[in-house]
Amino acid sequence: METKIKWESEMSHALARARKEGKYVLLDFFNLG
Amino acid sequence: MDAVTYPEERVGTFIQETMVPLRIKFDTQPFSTNFNIKWTPTLIALDAEGKEHHRVVGFLPPEELIPSLLLAIAKCSFDQEQFSSALSAMERILAEYPKSDSAPEALFLRGVARYKTTHNPTPLKEAYEQLHTQYPTSEWTKRAYPYRLL
Repeated sequence: METKIKWESEMSHALARARKEGKYVLLDFFNLG
Repeated sequence: MDAVTYPEERVGTFIQETMVPLRIKFDTQPFSTNFNIKWTPTLIALDAEGKEHHRVVGFLPPEELIPSLLLAIAKCSFDQEQFSSALSAMERILAEYPKSDSAPEALFLRGVARYKTTHNPTPLKEAYEQLHTQYPTSEWTKRAYPYRLL
């Protein structure tokens, strides 16, 4: 069974969530090609 | 990562529960320049202020990604002198993923964190002895080598 990861796409949103939720950010630089 | 590692349920669940996942295309400015991105995938752990604490370049299979992210959490906490949180993450690596590539560094860093919380050098010597026994060829065993004299 797959657990779909709900990725943030904006740095500012991710950092705001990290502050609010007391978590660290996993930043994935990806290449679709 | 999209074909093999991220679709695994245990990976998705771990990431959703423990971190804030953020994906940015490798050439997006100013982040590509600011983080000096030269290859993909590049995974970076950031604190809530956007400061980098851990980086991995290249593919990781599911059995390596989770301990690598636990190590990332440990290093974020360690750097912020949140040693209790750091130790919790390192203990989990050593208990649940002792054969992972992240385990020797976790063992090394656990010794350092214990030393910093107690100012007792014994945990450093214990870290070397455990590294020497369990991971004799690891670079972290070499880095801990001076601690054998403590």
